[in-house]
Amino acid sequence: MRSATAITPASADPIVAIDGLRKSFGNVEVLRGVDLRVAKGEAVVIVGSSGSGKSTCLRCINRLEEPTAGTIRVGGEEVTGAKVDLNLLRRRIGMVFQGINLYPHKTALGNVTLALRKVAGLGKAESEQKARQHLELVGLAHKADSYPAQLSGGQQQRVGIARAMALEPQVMLFDEPTSALDPELVGEVLNVMVRTKEMGMTMIVVTHEMHFARDVADRVVFMDHGAVLAEGTPEDILVSPQHQRIRDFVTRSRA
Amino acid sequence: MDQIVRYFFDFSLMSAYWPDILRGFLITIEMSILTVLIGVPLGLAIAILRLYGFKPLNALIILYIDFFRSIPQLVLIMLAYFALPSFGLMLGPFTATVLALAIVLSAFSEEIFWAGINAVAKGQWEAGRSTGLGFNQTLVHIILPQVVRISIPPLTNRAIGISKGTTLGSVVAVPELLNVTSSIQSNVANPTALTVGALLFLALFLPFVRFTRWLERAYAHPRS
Repeated sequence: MRSATAITPASADPIVAIDGLRKSFGNVEVLRGVDLRVAKGEAVVIVGSSGSGKSTCLRCINRLEEPTAGTIRVGGEEVTGAKVDLNLLRRRIGMVFQGINLYPHKTALGNVTLALRKVAGLGKAESEQKARQHLELVGLAHKADSYPAQLSGGQQQRVGIARAMALEPQVMLFDEPTSALDPELVGEVLNVMVRTKEMGMTMIVVTHEMHFARDVADRVVFMDHGAVLAEGTPEDILVSPQHQRIRDFVTRSRA
Repeated sequence: MDQIVRYFFDFSLMSAYWPDILRGFLITIEMSILTVLIGVPLGLAIAILRLYGFKPLNALIILYIDFFRSIPQLVLIMLAYFALPSFGLMLGPFTATVLALAIVLSAFSEEIFWAGINAVAKGQWEAGRSTGLGFNQTLVHIILPQVVRISIPPLTNRAIGISKGTTLGSVVAVPELLNVTSSIQSNVANPTALTVGALLFLALFLPFVRFTRWLERAYAHPRS
């Protein structure tokens, strides 16, 4: 499943380039200088214990969190800085949330079409057609008219993925997409994510699913105390880790 | 039992007064509807204004809502009618009453909408913004529909409670329903007039309550 070429962080034309990213909440420094490159089509999985700054790092990329210092570039364009058109930027960055966050008053279809209509400016028919295509891709074409409360958690999250993918972003951010789900519903969401990768989507995934990291990631990034402790192939990081810190983490994750 | 019928249900006594009663009833309906139509949207507008978070403006808003939630409506009506003319603003009794009640309702409904806005999960904002929707678009398409839904029951209570304050208009001589019927009561020396008034109030507010129940259902989204 892993592509043979993705061995090292791509240096040429990365889709996402993070340099010296810092973020403080009050006196607490959550990110202490993160550097990260993600190449086109690459699936990078960020792992680490809770509180290591994984989610915050992800949320800085589309500026749901405001970085304290450092630069982030997406598709060559600087994300940080006062003059950035946030709405234009976010259109190019899809996000899937731990809390799923479907709009409860809209059907699955309505959840997907909203941004297609209001952000991408598509007409009613066109946006619905596109939304149905993307619901089809996550295997939920038959649930287009269901409301979120009528869907299982796994189905909801798949709609969440369709909602983000429908805008055809340059990169997809997954913030612990399966953490809120019952264990038996995790698989269907991970399967959709695998398919997303197979379609060539660039993905940055924060997750605790070690199997997913091992089997799907081109590269695993281990974060610890607000910085990248190590990165490399899933084997390097998760199977034969060099750091004691990571060995402890892997052992505990297996238990 | 006979006595009760004689005192409270002697409708023959009313025959001469039906036109007055009807006029009073219409005035009460008009005042109630105007109070709600002005008060609730004004409250929503203030809640949205507060959401933008301009500090000095928010301090003013909080002063406004705390003041008008605390002051008795009766006093406010008196002030609107008797005190505003000294500031060059001459209001008729009808307008003074509606204005006072609408302002009180706007203060209460602002608080209800504000609580509703805060009750919508932060993730809803994030989901909307993450797809490139702007603040206003997220507010209009994602947040407000959910706010309206959770606000309807408490809003209904408030709107009815305050609309019933139209009876206070009698202190500035608005010929509304209760004013008319209590005058008739004195004229004929029989409280049947008040029974008629009460029945008409029921006739006005029961459909209103039913309407808001329907609204609740219309705004509900299916839960599994």
